[in-house]
Amino acid sequence: MSIIQFRGVSKHFDELRVLDEVDLSIEQGEVVVLIGPSGSGKSTLLRCINGLEQITGGDLRVDDISVLAGNARLREIRQEAGMVFQQFNLFPQLTALQNVAFGPRHVRGKSRREAEEIGLELLDKVGLKERAHHYPAELSGGQQQRVAIARALAVRPKVMLFDEPTSALDPELKQEVLNVMRNLAEEGMTMVVVTHEMAFARQVGSRLIFMEHGKIAVDGDPCEMLCNPTNPRLKDFLRHVH
Amino acid sequence: MNTDWSVITGFLPELLDGAEMTLYITLVGLAGGMAVGVVAGLMRAYGHWTLNYVAMAYIELIRGTPIVVQVMFLYFALPVLASIRIDPLTAAMIAIVVNAGAYIAEIVRGALQSISRGLAEAGLALGLPRWKVLVYIVGPLAFRRLIPPLGNQCIVSLKDTSLFIVIGVSELTRTGQEIMAANFRAVEIWTAIAAIYLIMTGTLTLLLRVIERRLRIL
Ligand SMILES: Nc1ncnc2c1ncn2[C@@H]1O[C@H](COP(=O)(O)OP(=O)(O)OP(=O)(O)O)[C@@H](O)[C@H]1O
Ligand SMILES: [Mg+2]
Repeated sequence: MSIIQFRGVSKHFDELRVLDEVDLSIEQGEVVVLIGPSGSGKSTLLRCINGLEQITGGDLRVDDISVLAGNARLREIRQEAGMVFQQFNLFPQLTALQNVAFGPRHVRGKSRREAEEIGLELLDKVGLKERAHHYPAELSGGQQQRVAIARALAVRPKVMLFDEPTSALDPELKQEVLNVMRNLAEEGMTMVVVTHEMAFARQVGSRLIFMEHGKIAVDGDPCEMLCNPTNPRLKDFLRHVH
Repeated sequence: MNTDWSVITGFLPELLDGAEMTLYITLVGLAGGMAVGVVAGLMRAYGHWTLNYVAMAYIELIRGTPIVVQVMFLYFALPVLASIRIDPLTAAMIAIVVNAGAYIAEIVRGALQSISRGLAEAGLALGLPRWKVLVYIVGPLAFRRLIPPLGNQCIVSLKDTSLFIVIGVSELTRTGQEIMAANFRAVEIWTAIAAIYLIMTGTLTLLLRVIERRLRIL
């Protein structure tokens, strides 16, 4: 059974059709990289998976739970599918550790001590244990994004969704975040990643999807698609990214 | 013109009684006003459209009419309309509750809506129910932004109590008026009254400074 299953999924914002009958199955362990021009619907596709946007047509299941099955089931989906945002969105009034411990404490219902242990374990994983008691404002962008990844992981999701996780970062800070993601992929985490980092797509991605006008235009092996693109619009797109 | 400041000492106990009444009306009124304001502000920010319109109608009704008219309505018109008779003090307190509530509602709504959507989404994406996002994330952040305008409203409401002179509540201004009518010491009495208001509002301002310094805006 696929961990994520789109069947004819559409998403409209009023008259604007942003996703157009998308069919897509993602299996456990896949690292799917999503690329495409601005406005092609990449973020929307990602946000439909965890119900931050509600689909307007078709059927979308995560771990066999429909995103339309009601609030309680939707919260289950969100615990299964962690999300990392372009703007980090760390809770500014909480320290790094409190941010990471937040999910275990308030979503998983762990005790304060257990939550803190999980928090430290995950901060260690992203190489920020010694920053545990700093507030987000006291961290660099790269560090903030690593804390945000740890925060999402702390809920113990089965899938991780990344929406341009390095786009808000200076070039020299991108790498530390990409390294954390690479390690995560190597551990076998199922990932869906919207990014413009083609090197990451080639080296870490197990599958590349090129979106255009709310449809999946090309879906295949990253190396093949990037080295010998046959689709003319993909070719054109890649020329602009490089 | 001869002024004799020593007359104030004689009237000070009366004036302080008036000040106490002013503070009492303000405190009770603001406590109620905050409760009403938080509820109406939440309705504006998160309520579906009927709740939203109810809150909006209330806010516009109150903001669009003078507080003197509101308290006159409560005290003189309500008994006629609904045969509900209330004493002047109750009318004064209700007037502050209703009036401050409307302004505080807008303050609460503004503070809630000033918190970045991304933070609420980050909370939701973790699997939190909406109320927890409000209680643990958006609420605490909005609260910090609430303090300065809320403090301002407290000062405004405190001064608004002087308008209840029109229904004869023996708050500070009314007390001064009564003393005046007996001895015509206008300069001394009104100076003393102004000073007492200043002490009350100044204390409030200082208190707010302390709270603001404790709670950094994030
Ligand atoms: N909340 C919204 N209301 C209305 N239109 C929206 C909303 N969110 C997105 N859109 C529109 O949907 C389309 C797709 O947006 P989306 O953010 O999914 O694109 P994207 O592929 O992620 O683009 P980018 O690379 O710029 O991030 C755009 O035309 C956008 O303007
Ligand atoms: Mg996007």
